[in-house]
Amino acid sequence: MPLQPWMKLISVDDHLIEHPRVWQDRLPTKYKEIGPRIVEQPLGEGQPNAQMWVYEDRIYPYIGLNAVAGKKPEEYGLEPLRYDDMIPGCYDPKARLADMDIDGVEAMMCFPSFPRFCGTVFLEAEDKELALACVQAYNDFVLDEWCAAGPGRLIPIVILPLWDAQAAVREIHRTAAKGAKGISFPDLPHALGLPSVHTDYWDPVFSAVEETGMPLCQHFGSGGASAIPQIAPDAPFAVMINLMGTNSMHATADWVFSGALHKHPKLKIGLSEGGVGWIPYIIERADYVWRKHRFYQNINQEVRPSELFKKHFHGCFIEDDFGVANRHIIGVDRITWECDYPHSDSFWPASRKRAAEAFENVPDDEVHQIVELNARRLYNLPAPAEKPAAAGVVS
Amino acid sequence: MAPIDRIPEDDWTDQDLLTKDEAGERLDVEITAVTGELDRLRAAGIGPLEQDEAGLLTRRLEAMQWVRASLRA
Repeated sequence: MPLQPWMKLISVDDHLIEHPRVWQDRLPTKYKEIGPRIVEQPLGEGQPNAQMWVYEDRIYPYIGLNAVAGKKPEEYGLEPLRYDDMIPGCYDPKARLADMDIDGVEAMMCFPSFPRFCGTVFLEAEDKELALACVQAYNDFVLDEWCAAGPGRLIPIVILPLWDAQAAVREIHRTAAKGAKGISFPDLPHALGLPSVHTDYWDPVFSAVEETGMPLCQHFGSGGASAIPQIAPDAPFAVMINLMGTNSMHATADWVFSGALHKHPKLKIGLSEGGVGWIPYIIERADYVWRKHRFYQNINQEVRPSELFKKHFHGCFIEDDFGVANRHIIGVDRITWECDYPHSDSFWPASRKRAAEAFENVPDDEVHQIVELNARRLYNLPAPAEKPAAAGVVS
Repeated sequence: MAPIDRIPEDDWTDQDLLTKDEAGERLDVEITAVTGELDRLRAAGIGPLEQDEAGLLTRRLEAMQWVRASLRA
């Protein structure tokens, strides 16, 4: 039984739904009326009102919509439109912990929902002073309320004011001092109109990240809908879902051919939800490109992309039999595990059972690395509890 | 105040939440499976090792039943 009972499952990619008062409880009085708040929106006779976020003068109709992209507003309605329609573990940390217990999951780190995976909703703000206050309010909610309900089990990931590098630096240090363990960062910043990782715009941010020892967590899709892949407008949504992991491939290629990892040798990157099976191909290809084409380009001439990958990156997977089979080529120490609660991709309430099946033919020590030890190292989490004496030696 | 028809820079999917109905159905499947495991353990006779396993299974079963009931409420 390669997944042993004493191994603690640490999931590096999950999600929370912000409760209605996250910003109203924390914003200065002058901003409460225009800061994010939930409003009741009539849907029509005989239908309950929908609850929607309003921020400044914009309506965001997606508190709990399923698969909102690709759907027209008139197709909304069969989805959770009110908090009461959701399972409480979405927005109530105590219910979340109970659901984790059932699922056999020890700890998890949650990405935001209304702010999007890395806070890009605040890029749209008219008032950037308010937007900064919103970023700080979200981070304080995560640190002081959500994760405080389960210390050591709910692991805090914070967001940044991406439009202002110096403010981002200050927020990194502020939240690190409060116990943050990771920073959500767009996988393709240029697709959001932000400077790419090939510029020096992010240098002070990356330096602050190095100083605090936190990883950058790049959830696929956090670069927004205009990022690759360019899907035919009439393609079934399945095409987009199928290609989502290619965003992580693109992000990896950007990093290994940028100067950022050479200027910031302690930078750690966690690629979230993209799977791991693609890694051997893109890294082999990157080495080939570097070997053949580096001479006439402004890229590092000394270090192969594969060396950068081994030093800086972790991937994660929820279901990736090909990736597990090729774990030694990827690097067993580069792989982490996720359960993606409360998205329907998750195997809840049987995540542990599914993990045991996925690791059926993997030695115990490698399973332990993937489900627990690699995440502890990447996120600077406390060392694991001692395993039972009868459990034998695990490297 | 104009609603945004399509969110211009959304995160692709991506709430895609487990609904209460789907969560309830998944819990029903797991409750049935764990109940079956417990029945098999009891039928085989419970020694000290099995007692530990049965205790864990029973606690998980009760937790799942509690959550299942709360989803119906």
